[in-house]
Amino acid sequence: MSESEVRQGLRAFIGENFLYLRPEVALADGDDLLAHGILDSLGFVELVEEVQGRFEIAVEDIEITEENFGSIDAMTAFVARKRA
Amino acid sequence: MTARTLDGDLRAAAAAHPERTAVVTAQRSTSYGELELAAGRIAAGLRGLGVAPGDRVAIVLPNGAEMAEAIYGALRARAAFTPLNPTIKQDKLGDVLERCGATAVICDAERAATVEAAAARAGGPAVAADIASLGRAEDSTGAAPLDVDLAAVLYTSGSTGEPKGVTVTHRNMAFVGDSIIEYLELGPEDRILCVLPLSFGYGLYQLLTCVRSGATLVLEAGFTFPGRVVEVLERERVTGLPGVPTVFGVLTALRGLADRELPHLRFLTNAGAALPAATLAAVRRTFPDARLYSMYGQTECTRVCYLPPEQLDARPTSVGIPIPGTEAWVEDDDGRVAAPGEVGELIVRGSHVMQGYWQDEQGTAERLRPGRWPWERVLATGDLFRRDAEGYLYFVSRRDDMIKSRGEKVVPREVEEVLHAVPGVREAAVVGVPDELLGQAVHAHVAPVSGEQLDAGDLRRCCAERLEVHMVPRRIVLHAFLPRTANGKIDRRALVGP
Repeated sequence: MSESEVRQGLRAFIGENFLYLRPEVALADGDDLLAHGILDSLGFVELVEEVQGRFEIAVEDIEITEENFGSIDAMTAFVARKRA
Repeated sequence: MTARTLDGDLRAAAAAHPERTAVVTAQRSTSYGELELAAGRIAAGLRGLGVAPGDRVAIVLPNGAEMAEAIYGALRARAAFTPLNPTIKQDKLGDVLERCGATAVICDAERAATVEAAAARAGGPAVAADIASLGRAEDSTGAAPLDVDLAAVLYTSGSTGEPKGVTVTHRNMAFVGDSIIEYLELGPEDRILCVLPLSFGYGLYQLLTCVRSGATLVLEAGFTFPGRVVEVLERERVTGLPGVPTVFGVLTALRGLADRELPHLRFLTNAGAALPAATLAAVRRTFPDARLYSMYGQTECTRVCYLPPEQLDARPTSVGIPIPGTEAWVEDDDGRVAAPGEVGELIVRGSHVMQGYWQDEQGTAERLRPGRWPWERVLATGDLFRRDAEGYLYFVSRRDDMIKSRGEKVVPREVEEVLHAVPGVREAAVVGVPDELLGQAVHAHVAPVSGEQLDAGDLRRCCAERLEVHMVPRRIVLHAFLPRTANGKIDRRALVGP
């Protein structure tokens, strides 16, 4: 799976599950999901479940941070590191 | 000697150990000496804005050192504080400011426009949007509040959805603080991690009990990135973690947390709603060395009871015994003490019971009843309980249909009103559905005017625009018609059912 496929997959999942509530938000890949109110702690747990299944990686407790899950860019890089 | 007032708590802590850390946030660490200086400076600033002893100062801030400074600054000015949810919408804020007759509002730059607009509507309390530049240093030797003085007006949703201002004195708050400190055995070595909003009673008392016991509050902006919480638990050597079922549900769902040592973590507390059995078991597997306290309370007296952790195996669904220095019992409909196993209203007695609802005699009379002595009043909680043969208490249900989601109250009617205002909506019913993570999840059931098309996403968006985050329905179900009971009312039980 290429980086752009990972990115597309993340965009699609977040769009379908979280962004439909916020049509006014034009989310860029670098935007902070928390600061924009797109996700909360439960949302991150849902997202981690999806990321583990979709990209076949195991996410540790301490990895669910802003650095790794704060934006689509951050998640794309994180998935790439985990799959490397 | 323990201090008589919350203001006295800070003075005593700053005098005894000025260098010790009072509050740690992601941004900075604030010592007791620094918190004391900030309180004096902010008090001077508030006086400059016209705040007089006994006035109400509303605080609309997210979790941060500034929130702690604002609270103790207002108290140093001999005013009372009214903490409000930082996501509060303009109309509701204006309403609350008017009700409590606030003379000043402390907020931050991000909220300044909303607060200014709400304040203008509410008769123009002064707005302080930059706490760092509020006031100049002043000495703290001026007159201090007495324990009989008003300390706070804490807004809570009544069963009708009208905000009710729980009115408490320094004596009320210091007393319940001492009782909590006693049963949790809090001391200066404790480091309490607070991910709960300080605008909410359960979160607020983490700050108040830390300052009263000289402990350190490790304050997070909120409960967001679970990995961040795990990191802070380890790095800050946290000794106590208060949570609601959502917090424990998320933490116990994490991979790897159970394998961490966390040798400093000595206790966990749960309140807001009962932990589901599966979450309770997961908490004990994840944190095997920490004592877990199941607790129950309401803003009207802060905390009612707690289950001593050694009783958890024998009575996993009990919320325990009255907190130290208080009494609580179950009354039947005739006002007699109910027999073990019998369901009735929980009544509470002690110095933690509020003085009443702010400027609401009728509401106060419904909840405060004559007590044992001519000067005493006891609290009728409005909650249904039973006790077992050994006197341990069990929550049965709220007397009304209040939903508790994420430990916060959601009044169905407030959400229904927003849905009803959407064009094309014929009827709407909002119910709480048991949820492992949230305690209860807010679900809305909506039926359209015939011939109209509704979109669940549009409806959720309308709710998100008009309601605080915890009130927005997690799920919206569209129906042709809502189910009815035999006498024609919407059948809420059918909507909650499986």
